[in-house]
Amino acid sequence: MRPFELSLAAAADAIQARELSPVDLVDSVLDRIEQVEPHLDAYVTVTADQARRAAREAEDAIATGHPHGPLHGVPMGLKDLIDVAGVATTASSLVRADHRAEADSAVAARLRAAGAVLVGKTHTHEFAYGLTTPQTSNAWDRGRVAGGSSGGSAVAVASGAATFALGTDSGGSIRVPAALNGVVGLKPTYGLVPRHGVTSLSWSLDHVGPITRTVEDAALVLSVLAGHDPRDPASLPAPVGDYRPGRDTELAGLRVGVPRNYYFEHVDPEVEAAVRRAIDRLADLGARLVEVEIPMTRYVQATQWALMAPEASAYHERTLRTIPDRYQADVRILLEAAELVPAGDYLRAQRARTLMRQEWARMLDEVDVIAAPTVPATAVPADQETVTWPDGTVEGVADLYVRLSAPANITGVPSLSVPVGHDSAGLPIGMQLLGRPFGEATILRVGHAYELTEPARALAPVV
Amino acid sequence: MSTTALTPPEAARWADRAGLPLPADRHTDVAAVANHIHSVIAVLRELDFGDTPPAAAYRVGEEKHDATV
Repeated sequence: MRPFELSLAAAADAIQARELSPVDLVDSVLDRIEQVEPHLDAYVTVTADQARRAAREAEDAIATGHPHGPLHGVPMGLKDLIDVAGVATTASSLVRADHRAEADSAVAARLRAAGAVLVGKTHTHEFAYGLTTPQTSNAWDRGRVAGGSSGGSAVAVASGAATFALGTDSGGSIRVPAALNGVVGLKPTYGLVPRHGVTSLSWSLDHVGPITRTVEDAALVLSVLAGHDPRDPASLPAPVGDYRPGRDTELAGLRVGVPRNYYFEHVDPEVEAAVRRAIDRLADLGARLVEVEIPMTRYVQATQWALMAPEASAYHERTLRTIPDRYQADVRILLEAAELVPAGDYLRAQRARTLMRQEWARMLDEVDVIAAPTVPATAVPADQETVTWPDGTVEGVADLYVRLSAPANITGVPSLSVPVGHDSAGLPIGMQLLGRPFGEATILRVGHAYELTEPARALAPVV
Repeated sequence: MSTTALTPPEAARWADRAGLPLPADRHTDVAAVANHIHSVIAVLRELDFGDTPPAAAYRVGEEKHDATV
């Protein structure tokens, strides 16, 4: 196996055993980037020189007996909303043409301290305000959407152009591209991972989290990212620790909630079949399946939009008035139109969120996790704008991809997307595992147990 | 179009009141998107919120933390 093909956990073990040097690993990933980037456009910037320098430093530190942990010497991509000192945070936008971050974001600083090596900044749908990332191609089919908004991060990880990456998620932007590219994405509990130094889309919905090849890798990255930072007003002093799951696949006693409404409605039959097979696998491992009724589903889309749209317009208030022509058309029109949302509607959404959070807490008293599709359909062709369901319902692509992921943003509960196979066109399918607030250890344990029953996944066959 | 939908000139005036003067060639498109957003979020008016506070000062799981104090 070539170094760029290794999972984070496998690379870390090889580095620790002195079977692999960080320099060779980083060189291998940089070579892979050169090979696949012409086809995928996952990166805004590749920081090759700095990465090679950091890899040599990591190699020296490890050789002299100063390893920093499993991320030490491992190459990563960061979504280009995440500040890294001395590097532009472009948000994939001309609005940020002259940007240069003066300091590391909280997460970049934690990853730097853990010894991770930045190989580049990955593309986002402009300012994270969209679900396709049009600059980037799907890792499994170049004619299809990467998903978004963390499309560059998911495609880089799926293609071997990063060993792991970070994304952000305000309505599904980690989990959607993870599902569409066959990798793992974790949206942590709201407040667990600090957002200081990360460009906001919507303050009350934004989360930062890992995109990885395996669930175990996501746990390794989360162990570095989690923890209170007073510079993010939403950051919570919650207990954190080592999230790495054990080798045990036994799920006896675990109650897995299977939604009887919402999550399997208007879902592609191949997606539904793959997710139900995966849920049955959890039952084979000893979990007890419990039907659950998802509360207040009629108000999910309204609450998501009435929170996100005015908050995004507020964030962009100044530049929308001074340099509106530098925004892409799809983002500019949303920012402009949401200036017309009355404060009363925004407050209704905040109150609806209170009710929804209470109802979800009641539901999550009955089960330990909820298992559902991450997205209702696999990656659509890049030029497709709508999907028509058998009952004649027409749904916009953005609404389609955000529909099943938004509840976890509104309620703040953690959600992990795990690959559960491919459709007949060969496109990846994702299952999401939703947990209680700060229940990351549980959803990671369940996702890891599922993965251990499956053959190791290969990289996307780009070249 | 519903009776509450904004016409392009109304959208322009609302935007102006929000401090966002719009060029004339954007009035129609902004009105259309604003009306779509309104149609999506207006469903929240069905809810009887009673004394429910907004979740603006939002702390997920706070209730449970408090309950164990």
